Amino acid sequence: MKIEQQIPRNALFWILLAQFFLLLPHIARLPGWVFVVYLIAAFWRIMVYRGQWSFPPRWLKLILILAGFFGIQASFGSMLGLEPTVALLLVAFALKLIELCERKDAYLVIFLGFFVCLTEFLFSQELLIAAYNLVCVIVLLTALIALHQPGEQKLQFAPLRRASLFVIQAFPLMVVLFVIFPRLPPLWSVPLKSNAAKTGVTDFMSPGDIAQLSRSDEVAFRAEFVGDIPRQSELYWRGLVFSRFAGKTWKPVGWQDTPALERRPQAPAGEMGEGLEYTVIMEPTQQRWLYSLRYAWEHSRNVTKTGDFRLVSPITVQDQYRYSATSYPGAALETDLSDWRRELELELPVVGNQRARTFAVERRNQATSDLAYANDILDFFNEQGFSYTLTPALLGDNTVDDFLFNTREGFCEHYASSFVFLMRSAGVPARVVAGYLGGELNPVNRTVIVRQFDAHAWAEIWLEGRGWTRVDPTSAVSPDRIEWGLERALAGEGSFLADSPLSPIHFRNIDWLNKIRLRYDAITYAWQLAVLSYDSDEQFHVLEEFLGEITPQRVMLFILAAGILSLLPMIGVLLWQSRSHLPKEVRIYNKYCHKLAQLGTHRFPQESPGDFAERAILVHPQLESEIRQVTKLFETIAYSGQPGRVSLAELRHSVRRFGVLRT
Amino acid sequence: MNNHIEAAVQEIGKVLLGKEEQIRLSLCCLLSRGHLLIEDLPGMGKTTLSNALASVLGLSFNRVQFTSDLLPADILGVSIYDQSSGAFSFLPGPVFTQVLLADEINRTTPRTQSALLEAMGEGQVTLEGETRALPEPFFVIATQNPVSQSGTYPLPESQLDRFLMRIELGYPDPAAERELYLNPVNASQVKDLRTCLDPAQLTAISAQVQQVHASDNLLDYLQRLVAYTRNSAEFAFGLSPRGALSLLLGAKTWAVMHGREHVLPEDIQSILPAVAGHRLQPTRDFAGDSAALVRNLLANVDVIGG
Repeated sequence: MKIEQQIPRNALFWILLAQFFLLLPHIARLPGWVFVVYLIAAFWRIMVYRGQWSFPPRWLKLILILAGFFGIQASFGSMLGLEPTVALLLVAFALKLIELCERKDAYLVIFLGFFVCLTEFLFSQELLIAAYNLVCVIVLLTALIALHQPGEQKLQFAPLRRASLFVIQAFPLMVVLFVIFPRLPPLWSVPLKSNAAKTGVTDFMSPGDIAQLSRSDEVAFRAEFVGDIPRQSELYWRGLVFSRFAGKTWKPVGWQDTPALERRPQAPAGEMGEGLEYTVIMEPTQQRWLYSLRYAWEHSRNVTKTGDFRLVSPITVQDQYRYSATSYPGAALETDLSDWRRELELELPVVGNQRARTFAVERRNQATSDLAYANDILDFFNEQGFSYTLTPALLGDNTVDDFLFNTREGFCEHYASSFVFLMRSAGVPARVVAGYLGGELNPVNRTVIVRQFDAHAWAEIWLEGRGWTRVDPTSAVSPDRIEWGLERALAGEGSFLADSPLSPIHFRNIDWLNKIRLRYDAITYAWQLAVLSYDSDEQFHVLEEFLGEITPQRVMLFILAAGILSLLPMIGVLLWQSRSHLPKEVRIYNKYCHKLAQLGTHRFPQESPGDFAERAILVHPQLESEIRQVTKLFETIAYSGQPGRVSLAELRHSVRRFGVLRT
Repeated sequence: MNNHIEAAVQEIGKVLLGKEEQIRLSLCCLLSRGHLLIEDLPGMGKTTLSNALASVLGLSFNRVQFTSDLLPADILGVSIYDQSSGAFSFLPGPVFTQVLLADEINRTTPRTQSALLEAMGEGQVTLEGETRALPEPFFVIATQNPVSQSGTYPLPESQLDRFLMRIELGYPDPAAERELYLNPVNASQVKDLRTCLDPAQLTAISAQVQQVHASDNLLDYLQRLVAYTRNSAEFAFGLSPRGALSLLLGAKTWAVMHGREHVLPEDIQSILPAVAGHRLQPTRDFAGDSAALVRNLLANVDVIGG
């Protein structure tokens, strides 16, 4: 093999390292054997490099490729979907090592590496991942540079420095492209993640669902308020309204089942009160509903309202989703209840939970009003030994009966569900609302971080004259949950985030660690706000702001201007570097030489000013005095070390005047 | 001071006809306190020049004819047992003088050539464990035949480096040669040359040389020259820092000889062939001698820069 086709040892090392870096973040979501394949392939390649083994024969490579295919099929049960395809790519990427013998193979591996780098973003677009991928790009570039330094026998770090320099130099261009490059729809459809069933509130609720959610510390969304942030116990983030009860499970009313007139919310009647303005950035949920405080009347364009005063997105939330809204907590909701809705919110299964039904009617008859009745039930929860726990006893077929009169321990969904059941049994329109309660206030950037364990369910009852009124039965059992959040409410039980002992939430009482956590969360929020939510809409706005009207010519001009602007500093640096080493007097003298050259007399490099003057005078005797003057001035300034005797200005002046009169 | 130097040039010119440039260079070399190597064929006036130099400077003068069987002791001196006093007494060799003419230095073996190393470098000789200082000033003027002549030992680089300048005399021009035919120069004429510079004046000139200004622009040019010898492929090796310093020193003296208080690029260009010629060697691929190499160097390096 010719030397220029060989892979330098230095480059081989960097390629191995780059592959390691690229595979590392995938290790959690892919079967472990993929990584083992890489380790074996890398070991084999190193043994080849040491001259102990040889490259595998063709039949063995064929077997390995087939084994890779079957391995993926066996691990995922399918070759389709995002994870299997990425796993297949990575296996091929790793196996390429054992036939990495010529330079063209190394090119293939490195360029494939850039692609592998991109696949990481299909799974996560977090700030840390972006930073990590930057490191991967630098290592890949290093390998590429090392590939062009033949004959390097040892590990060299010089290419790493150069690669870092490249990345730094590319940064302005990256920013410009980020701002102006069109957000094209995907050229090919990316297969959906197979484990996309994310944790989060689901569109039905049965006992234990929310308790399950409370085991997770994943972020559900972050909210930023324009003005003051309301108290934590007032932050009831409404997501879903459950109106249909099927004996055990609560379900919302589908959009198709809602009569046309009921699909839009009633305009608020009477005083609206103070408005709360906020922006929410939601993590992907694969669902359509959004979270808002009641009563979200104004909102951004990418959101619509529903008849039960919720906000929904027109499309499934697959990526981070940003919207803003203004809520009026003081406004009355739906003071006029339509017949259809009254019927809906009173509906109960025909049979089951008989004991609870009788209990409800009895209690209602004793109470003076619907409101008094509701308070009576809350008192009942408070006084009859109900307890709040993440791990309640299992309930029988008649869930409400069983909970109210036997187990008497449960989580918020138990209370909300049985409260609404009791209300409906006594003829009071009521419904379950699911969403999140509270959230953590990050003092660094004044955002509210809402996590899965903040998931909550509560009730709304309809009262004559006041409309839908929020009642949270959990507050009767565990006021701590409302005031301080789940962690405090479960302090005695020790079941808070019991499944994830390493979650940073556990270390909140270590001050500096907590500060770092909150600081990082603030950076994440800024990252989401500035980078991830910059979609084609946002791009359009930004460009509109810059350009006024968007026409192809203006966009083209903008691209050119931005490109030139980002190149200007570099050009400036280059110019400065190329000029600065010449002293001023030399630059002026060169102008004089240039003038003489235009008259046909060029200075040879080896000619000193004196020699040149003598020769020039021979050719241009009419210029003798001027030539002698310039030469004398220059020699004095440049060589005598006593420039005080003549000034630079004098030289400049005589050079400027040189030859003007005679040509 | 210039008049004295000019007078010296004229004075030597009386016995070495038509060689003013070489006379100036050799004076420049001695005024820089450097040793001089004169290389040419026999009979070109090498010895005449060195004799004349010693005469006009008014310095004591010794001549050693180097032969293949010359030993170090023949130059440096030897201790002899004195029977009357019963002790060894030192008999100084010809090196103990102010101007030593080492005639045909490349006829002798490297061993004897090297005996001069310490004397030239440090102005002292060490014999039998005793260090003896040489008189001030101390110059070595060596002559040598071109190396291609038979029976010669080429001087090693370390020895060559001790000489500030190497000059070649070359054939005289026809007019000067005709003059020589008509009025042959005899030895007594050389001895009778007028002394133009006394030791005090030599010291004064040395002090004046120290004061000469070399501007940044000039040092840039010097460094460009040095860098060219180090980076260009036609040179076997580049100029050493000592070589560069020698260039600067020679140029300063040259500036003094021309009545200036600062160095001009012309000064460097004038002395460069003499100072750098013997310190540079072409690579085997270069089709030319060291003179062509120096011409290349001068032609390719821009005086002004940029």
